[in-house]
Order: sequence, then C-alpha cells, then structure tokens
Amino acid sequence: MIYLDSAATSFQKPPQVFRAYNETVRNAASPGRGAYRPAMLAAEAMFHAREEAAAFFHFPDSERIVLTMNATHALNLAIHSLAQKGKRVLISGFEHNSVLRPLVASGMEIVTVGRKLFDPEGLLQELRSSLNDASLAVFTHVSNVFGYILPIEEIASLCCSRGVPLIVDASQSAGILELDSRSLGADYIAMPGHKSLLGVPGSGLLLCGGDTVPLLFGGSGSDSLDRQMPAYLPDRLEAGTQNAPAAAALAAGIRYIHSRGRQEIEKHERELCRHMASLLRDRDDLELFLGPESMQTGVLSVRSRRFDCDELAARLAADGICVRSGLHCSPLAHESAGTIETGTLRMSFSPFNTHAEIERAAAKLIKFI
Amino acid sequence: MKQYLILCRSVTSAQRCAKLLEGALIRASVVKAPRGLSSSGCAYALQLHNKFDEAIGILKRHDMPVGKCFIREYSGEYREVKT
Repeated sequence: MIYLDSAATSFQKPPQVFRAYNETVRNAASPGRGAYRPAMLAAEAMFHAREEAAAFFHFPDSERIVLTMNATHALNLAIHSLAQKGKRVLISGFEHNSVLRPLVASGMEIVTVGRKLFDPEGLLQELRSSLNDASLAVFTHVSNVFGYILPIEEIASLCCSRGVPLIVDASQSAGILELDSRSLGADYIAMPGHKSLLGVPGSGLLLCGGDTVPLLFGGSGSDSLDRQMPAYLPDRLEAGTQNAPAAAALAAGIRYIHSRGRQEIEKHERELCRHMASLLRDRDDLELFLGPESMQTGVLSVRSRRFDCDELAARLAADGICVRSGLHCSPLAHESAGTIETGTLRMSFSPFNTHAEIERAAAKLIKFI
Repeated sequence: MKQYLILCRSVTSAQRCAKLLEGALIRASVVKAPRGLSSSGCAYALQLHNKFDEAIGILKRHDMPVGKCFIREYSGEYREVKT
C-alpha cells in the first residue's frame, strides 16, 4: 500500500508514538482525578504534551495550551470565544468547513478576501482594505486542498496593527512549517494532533493567547464547589475525562519531529511533491495545481480532463494507492480555484513516503488516465 | 520530618510549579489537597519537606499562581503559613 493522504490524517507513525499510546492505555487512569499512580500517570501524559507543544511552538505558558479532540474542536472553541453575532469576520478563500461552519453558526457577517490561488500579494491587498470594519479574522496557514501557503506572518502583522483579533488554523502546517507563536502574535492557534504532529486521532491543540468561553461544561477535577467552569486554563476548556493516551502519543510525535528535524521533514515533503509534479507535468490530460515552490507544501491537487476524480481515486485504491478525491471538506477553496464542479484528486505526502513510492503511484495514475 | 503544602489551582499548575522547583533542585510532589484545606472543592497541592521559603520565592519570582500554604504539625493538623 502507498498512503498519500497525510493531509487528512497521518497513517504511518513512528514506533514511539504507538508505544506511548499503548503504555498510557495500559497504565494510566483519568488525569486530574486523583493522586494515585495511574491518575498521576495520566496527568503527566497531559502535562508532557503541553510542555512539548509549548517548546515546539515557542509558546510561553503551557497552562494556556488546551488539549482538544481535534482541530475542529479547537477552532470551534476559539471561534466561540471571539465571535460576535452581526459583526464582521474576515476569512481567506481557502478555509475549511471547520472554520466556515462555526462562523456561519455564530451569525457573523463573513467577508472573504484573497480568492486567487497562489496570490499572497492580492490577498494582503484585499485584507488591508477590509480590516477597518472587521471585529475578527480567521485564516488558515495552508490550504488543505492545494498546499498553498498563505502569508500568515503578514496577515498577523496587519491584524495586530489594526487591533483585529486573529485565529490561525494551523491544521496543515503544524509539524511542517515554522510556527513561532511569539512572532505570530495570534490570539489563538488551532491544530490537530493526528496529522503532521504524528499523534493519533482524537487529539488536537489550542494555543490560547486571549480570553476563552467554554463550549462544554462539566467536571474538571478542580474548584468542584463552583457551579461555573474554572476561570483558568486549561481546566476552563477541558470538561470531562481527557484523552491521556492521545496526549502521550502526541508528545511522542512532537519529540520525533524534533529529533528528525522539522526542516528536514518540510524539505522531504516538498521534494516528494515536486517529484510527483515532474512525473505528471507533461500529461495533457491532467491539470496540475502547482504553485511556486516557496508557496506550496507537500500537497498536490490534480484533475483529469476526461475522468471523474472519485473514479480515479477508486481505481488507485483498488491498486493499493490511497489518495483523497472530492471537495476535501473545503468547498470554499474549490469555489476560489474554480474546481467546485469537479473537485480534485489530492495527493499529500508524509515524512515516511519515499521517492520510489511516488514513482509507482505516478505510473499507476498515468496508466489509468 | 517537616511537611509543607502549597495549594495550587489545578493539577497542571501544580505540575508546572513542581517542574520549576525541580530545576532549582527542590523536590516537590504533586498531591491531592486535603478537603479541609481547600475552600473551593477539589484541589491539588505541592508537598515538600524542606527549602519551603526558597521554593515560595522561586514560584513568586516566576509569577506562578500560588494558593494558601500550610505546615503539618506533629499532631497531624495543618497550620497556615503566611508567605
């Protein structure tokens, strides 16, 4: 099998991630619910995940890192904390439904800027002229469909200069691109644990710079006499029994990235993307969504001029090649890129893919078209 | 042996404090605070046997949210220590 769907979730993980998960499932109980050994092992798993994340993203206060179920959960928490019904929110033309749907539910007026693919200057120009009337901005760092790297530092700087709170969706960049929370200065940064941070499903992170409003209410293991959720993080946003095994796996994933080198992983994935593009580029019957090298991560969308993307993906799957087809939960990105009617076939690469796998997958795709 | 308790607002806060003290070679364990010491319900605490003043100084210097502090008397009862 060749797995090329890491933008959805990373399938291959380092052995230490599985080990950490298994050990925690076997030995740990519920974090923050006692001081006996299994409860403290669970609390330590949560604590180490926060500490690893704080060091990795240069975040000054690990208590303000909330462990979530996934990036969607983290984004919902951030949006719920800052959304104001009827006020204006700015987003890019490449946002995932995990941003779009909670914003629609919040009743905010959504204004989209930067709808042209691989055009960061155009996005910034539109953003500059739209910021005055905005009370919130939510921007993805990288498009999950096209691997397009948005100019997030410049976006953050503009938002900061106009006093507009910013939520960054780092779902496709955390673990791959440099993400320094100090220099970014965003109010919230949301990310999954199970994609490029190499943790397991059921894990995500929210780096909280601003005030928070709970979405879920219940036991936190602290201030039990108070009928409100605690005023402080992380307890304020972590009601109920937390997923300590997923936290242990996430910490192990971050340690692996640190030991292998984030830059090395970024370079490897980008090379695989360019390699795949070079093998498919000369095919007249394929349209490639390839941007300048500096603007694209290891994610490549293509579409056939003759075959349906889902049909192609099904053929590839039958031959053991796992790719994603359709709209990738990002209809807005497809509307922006003009691919809403067809969707795309997306190949996304991981630290564990090899150039030989890319060649085999490309040969199969060429055979089918 | 003397036993001090420093109340913390959460298990995470207690863990951060313990890590900070560990860096200064002060050993502190994270324990559940006795119910009678916490006015807000369930709480965690740092338990240490020596270097109490030094520990408090370090935690305050790092702006850690430190709650009430207690020393355990020979009778087994806790007496609040002003810091």
